[in-house]
Amino acid sequence: MEVKTTEMAGAAVLAGVTKSYGTVRAVNGLDLRLDQGKSVALLGPNGAGKSTTIAMLLALLAPDSGTVEVLGTSPERAVRDGRIGAMPQSGRLISGVTVRELLAFVRRSYAAKARARAKAVPPLDELMRATRVTDLARRRADQLSGGQAQRVRFAIAIAGAPELLVLDEPTTGLDIEARRELWASVRAYAAQGGTVLFSTHYLDEADAHADRIVVIDRGRVIADGTSDDIKQRVPGRTVSFDLDGSMGTLDGLPGVVSSEVRGNRAKLHTTDSDATVLALAGAGAVRNLEVTGAGLEEAFLTLTGSQEDAR
Amino acid sequence: MIVHYIRLEMLRLLRDPGYLVLSLVSPLTMYLVFTNLDLTGESGHQGAAAYAMVGMAGFGAVGAVMGNGVAIAEDKPLGWIRQLRLLPLRPFEVVVGRTLTAMVGTVPPIVSVCLAGALVNDVSLSAAQWASVLVLLFVGIAPMAVLGIGVGYLLTGQQAQMAGLVCYMGLSLLGGLWVPIAKFPGWLEHVATATPINRYGELSWRVTDGNAPTVTGVLVLAGWAAVFAAFAVYGYRCSSRTV
Repeated sequence: MEVKTTEMAGAAVLAGVTKSYGTVRAVNGLDLRLDQGKSVALLGPNGAGKSTTIAMLLALLAPDSGTVEVLGTSPERAVRDGRIGAMPQSGRLISGVTVRELLAFVRRSYAAKARARAKAVPPLDELMRATRVTDLARRRADQLSGGQAQRVRFAIAIAGAPELLVLDEPTTGLDIEARRELWASVRAYAAQGGTVLFSTHYLDEADAHADRIVVIDRGRVIADGTSDDIKQRVPGRTVSFDLDGSMGTLDGLPGVVSSEVRGNRAKLHTTDSDATVLALAGAGAVRNLEVTGAGLEEAFLTLTGSQEDAR
Repeated sequence: MIVHYIRLEMLRLLRDPGYLVLSLVSPLTMYLVFTNLDLTGESGHQGAAAYAMVGMAGFGAVGAVMGNGVAIAEDKPLGWIRQLRLLPLRPFEVVVGRTLTAMVGTVPPIVSVCLAGALVNDVSLSAAQWASVLVLLFVGIAPMAVLGIGVGYLLTGQQAQMAGLVCYMGLSLLGGLWVPIAKFPGWLEHVATATPINRYGELSWRVTDGNAPTVTGVLVLAGWAAVFAAFAVYGYRCSSRTV
């Protein structure tokens, strides 16, 4: 659990937050504190409660119970004051306006609020340059490719030079080049001291772009730490092989976080597949050996160790 | 800020081909055709051309505000309504801004049909009457504009299109925008006088006939405005409960 620092208001503080849709509990007693100026990844499989958590931070949803505080105030207030920028998970751009017209409107709505707080938002041309949409300025917003649209959506999110930037699975549906560009823009924003929260279901993305990784599953935090901490706990690979007679305990092997045996085939969830394979080779247990990247869903099931209520 | 929002939505509205057809081309065409087909049975009458002029200008205005409702419904799956909730705008500003956008969108049909009335059909009114008619056609559409907002927030695009069509065609016909309700069977005429669009048209018909709008008419319209405002608030609340 985390140490509470009381001097500085966190960028966001969630305490005992729950949210249900009908009988499905999407967020289940979530406690989370984001410090200002850090990049934090919310890592979890589909349905883990990432989007619901983000929706509550953005005042799109109200929690059933618990409290959500953003930038020392309520999420509604933080959004209304223009202190948050957000890129929701899905969403297309509207028809009938050019990219420039759309961004000019968004920037102006932030600019008015910023003036009230004696701050300023960057000029439109600078915003478009920084987000690499200058060449799209005259294009109709609804006629862009996926990567281009995502750049514009990112520009919308940072148009107000927000203190907190929230990105919900920002790279979903993007090709590698578009991903690379997007992360470059996010890093540029973070380098200016902004706080970033992004959700992803890719461990490598969280690893590469976050100072801290918060792993959530079934609506609660199950691991929280630096990338190295998490990689030691979240098995990234699965090593499978045919069991040959009786073996000792499989969990004792290097890197192995958990294991399962089906018939005569063993599956080891490991954080260090090289070490695991070497140890298996040493024991002569390499029949039909196979190393695969573990899906996070699978990895989380082993991490939470609650097979009985697995979906 | 609300001005910037209205300007953005106006741009979108004016570039929407559906808007042009529903609120400009079709009322203007129908006006010119109707006044030459003698549907009111009072051909040659100065009154008939003025009646149809108000009717078709109002018809275009209803088309514009209901089209706005459909546009809102179609914005929802795009995530635009949600995007607006993430910007530093109060929900009030967004809803009022969109209502005003719809109302500004009624200006082209109102002005163009009235121009056609004056220039093509020789409708002659005093300057004060022209001014009153234009203002009443514009201001009086407010209740229907608010209804369009409620429809847009509450319904899906397809449902909104159906609801919009019912209001556009059905309520316009029932309200006497096409044919005077005096031509209806007695019981239907009674029903018609309770509808918002009839009272909307009546405001201006009273003026073209040389009278002032009736208090009853204004009160009925105000009653509908209150009902539609409650409906719009309900629609907005429903839509904001989903992400």
